[in-house]
Amino acid sequence: MLRLILARLAQLPLILLVIYTATLFLAWQIPGSPLDTPEARRPPEEVIRAMEAQYKLDSFWSFYWSYLDNASGVRFAREYITGDAERQLQAARDAGRPVLQRRVFDFGPSLQYEDWRVSEIISASLPVSVAIGALAIVIATVVGVGAGVVGAAKPGSALDAATFVIALIGVSLPSFVSGTVLLLVFPVTLGWGTIGKLEGPGDLILPAITLSLPFAAYIARLTRMGMIEALGADYVRTVRAKGVRPAGVLFRHALKNAGLPVLSYLGPATALAVTGSFVVERLFSLPGMGQHFVNAVLNKDLFLIIGVVLVFAALLVVLNLVVDVLYRWIDPRIS
Amino acid sequence: MWKLVLPVLCLVVLLLGVGLMEPAAPKADLVIINRGDCNTLDVQRMSWLQDFRVAAALYEGLLTADRFSTSNEKLPGVAESWTVSDDGLIYTFHLRKDAKWSNGKPVTPEDFRYSWRRALLPDLANDYATLFRLIEGGAEFYKWRAAELKRFETESAGVARPVEAQKLWQETLRRFDETVGLTAPDAHTLVVRLVRPVAYFTEMMAFEAFFPIYPPVVEQFEQPSSVTGRLEFSSEWARPPLLVSNGRFKLASWRFKRDMLIVRNEHYWNQADIHANSILMPSVSDPNAQVMAFQTGTVDWLTDVVPDYRAEMIEAKEAFYREHWDDYQKLKARGLDPVAIDRRLPPDPRKNIHVFPTFGTYWYNFNCLPTLPDGRANPMADSKVRRALSMVVDKRSIVENIRRSGETVAEAIIPPGSISGYQSPPGLGFDVEGARALLTEAGYPGGVGLPVIEILFNRDGGHDLIAQSIKRDWEMNLGVSVRLVQKEIKVLRNDLKGRNFMVSRGSWFGDYGDPTTFLDVNRSDDNNNDRGYFSSEFDTLMKASDAERDPAKRMALLAQAEGLLIADDLPLLPIFHYTSTMLFDADKVSGISPLPRQKQDIGLLGKLGDKAAGKTETKPAGTALPREIPVPGPGGSIPVPSGAGQSGVRPLGSGGAN
Repeated sequence: MLRLILARLAQLPLILLVIYTATLFLAWQIPGSPLDTPEARRPPEEVIRAMEAQYKLDSFWSFYWSYLDNASGVRFAREYITGDAERQLQAARDAGRPVLQRRVFDFGPSLQYEDWRVSEIISASLPVSVAIGALAIVIATVVGVGAGVVGAAKPGSALDAATFVIALIGVSLPSFVSGTVLLLVFPVTLGWGTIGKLEGPGDLILPAITLSLPFAAYIARLTRMGMIEALGADYVRTVRAKGVRPAGVLFRHALKNAGLPVLSYLGPATALAVTGSFVVERLFSLPGMGQHFVNAVLNKDLFLIIGVVLVFAALLVVLNLVVDVLYRWIDPRIS
Repeated sequence: MWKLVLPVLCLVVLLLGVGLMEPAAPKADLVIINRGDCNTLDVQRMSWLQDFRVAAALYEGLLTADRFSTSNEKLPGVAESWTVSDDGLIYTFHLRKDAKWSNGKPVTPEDFRYSWRRALLPDLANDYATLFRLIEGGAEFYKWRAAELKRFETESAGVARPVEAQKLWQETLRRFDETVGLTAPDAHTLVVRLVRPVAYFTEMMAFEAFFPIYPPVVEQFEQPSSVTGRLEFSSEWARPPLLVSNGRFKLASWRFKRDMLIVRNEHYWNQADIHANSILMPSVSDPNAQVMAFQTGTVDWLTDVVPDYRAEMIEAKEAFYREHWDDYQKLKARGLDPVAIDRRLPPDPRKNIHVFPTFGTYWYNFNCLPTLPDGRANPMADSKVRRALSMVVDKRSIVENIRRSGETVAEAIIPPGSISGYQSPPGLGFDVEGARALLTEAGYPGGVGLPVIEILFNRDGGHDLIAQSIKRDWEMNLGVSVRLVQKEIKVLRNDLKGRNFMVSRGSWFGDYGDPTTFLDVNRSDDNNNDRGYFSSEFDTLMKASDAERDPAKRMALLAQAEGLLIADDLPLLPIFHYTSTMLFDADKVSGISPLPRQKQDIGLLGKLGDKAAGKTETKPAGTALPREIPVPGPGGSIPVPSGAGQSGVRPLGSGGAN
């Protein structure tokens, strides 16, 4: 187990390096200049040159290496070892300047939100995304597993058909529709909750429900499939023959095996829910991370694109690792 | 079984942890949704409309635009008085002694010198650097610094040279003091020398890019890089708690993508002119959610209404007016402005939508170069073809059937009534017969022989519908064939820059209250001349207007230049003048200007009918309502506002401007 964790964590930097290279290569191909914004007046050529030089946007390789240097922590380590960091600190103290916070992993400035660093943007938005994503996954698991078990208990019954229809709606209804309906019903008509403000955990419920729908539907189908298979297995027949009550058969014995595919789905699903909430964030005006995936690409905000992609990649690797570890721990047959 | 439940439990615990960390949103007198989020509060780097609106509340320039007046006069700001030399080259500003920063320190001429020097550095590279080149020595200083930086970087080749970098920076400071025409003879006087007389220089003094920032804090966050010599900036000063400002408000909090809170600046010199103690600007980006937030009462003012059903909301207001037609006509006859009329009509949720004219125009660019970059001959190079195409576009149909936002048909480039003392010449009008004759004259009778015309536009914002309408007009009326080319906005910008198009959609918003803010983009040497329009006649007229000292004659020259564009040469085809649509309850909110130069100042906002909100609501004598605009009686022209506009200000998002 420990070996698995160490091996995976050792792979992480390599994976991130590959992803960084690929992302930057693709993002570099986005047409237009990152410094040019729709409808703006176009500054004189020498101003554009000056802007490009400032952000090292004049050549791919100089950008590639300088970003890697800052974001990987190499620059931080180098300046620490050579003593440059200490000298700069001393110079700032001598001049009476405030000592700027030095970041180990510096993702650079955002080109669109000029007063903010990418690290600040991510650290401000990640908790919100994690909160909605996690809540959505909890809701999806409870609802999905419940519906799946109910459906599998009596396959072909009206109840089974009903859960199937609901699951179908959950998968096919886009979140901008389900979210708008929820907004219209609760805050607008009933006056519950607010629009445009994030005032506390209560304001996360509606977005989480919206976000959970497709996941709940998928989990319901996964559970139902697993349950039907498990209920037909020999060991369940034995359990039944032993005289265990039907509820006990369903939850104590069948669900244990049927739950494994759900568990393996939860890893990537959590990563997806945490980062893929662009529409939900926009609809409910939440300051999460999903919006940056889309907006950063539209604005060709290179620093932000790479920042969010790297964080997402790291999250995905870690969550998959967590699921693998849980898997081994829950099911001793897997090694 | 419990092993399966455990992961879910972990998630719940994590969730509670994050949820409890979530701080509550602050409370405020007024809540407004200001377009998108602010991009920066550093005035020298701003170029977005929503940033300018906040800057107007946080900072104060030498002069202030009067947003409720039809004249072009400027109000005093930090400067209580100013004089201009006879040759129009030297401006002397006398700063008021009680002008203070939000930390209580006095505002000095040196603060302005510092801020403007910063704007003139290639190190900062801001969009509005060009405007500062009107100051004597400004352009040379910029060029010199850029060349020195280049030399430094080549020489150092990646090796740190802290001593030399510091030396270059000291040299730069010395050079600025010696060569740029910006001096402070005493602690309350600022003298500005210009390269040429600039008739609209006072307009620029009220434009946010010329507002001061607080040097003692800002300079702590800049230092010359020892490798490149370039001054490196850190923007941490432009956020709470460090930001120091000199306007009506100061920044209390700014949480990224959440909200920004500004509160009364107790050190502002004119406390009686602050009408709210705090203003909150939450970040809401979805157009539907924005409207719902207003309708549920969370928000007092939505600055830009953009959802699809906007047209229906506008129609509902028209229906409301029809229900109160007699009262409405009477109030209108009294010469009241639209907001004042609304305040006197009975309360109704339908009247909360407001449509005001703006300082912007939607147009089509014609490429005037003889050949396209791919080597094809360009039929648009012939001004007869351009004129013919312009004369058959049904602009009224576009405004009434496609836009449906109360916009007006544009025959000229400059929105009518937006600049005091200026009248645009007439355009070409709609004339199918004349257009056909012109096309025959150009050698394409009935459109025969004319290659397929390509219209370039970008996705979103409804440009496709306008392009389809124009395609139909051209094909039906002139017999030409038209192809629509749709591209992403970034690609479109690239194509425009490379002049790689025949016809393309375009638009412009003015920066300051002078015709040059619109006309300059057609000068041969202008960087925004996407059309490849090189006319010595036009350039001569513009140069003559630069030199002309008599205001009336100058305006006449500019009108002649605009006439050349819209009646003879047609490098661009004006289609409509933008409007801006907002949601606010006129009975509850004051300080929003309905005048055509839509440049709102958030700092002027106040809450009506709630005495607890503002300390003292100042009202003009004789009325029970906030300041309103005196409109000329019958026969008078459309009210002409003052106040700086914005050019190239980026109108964001899904609005029509995109």
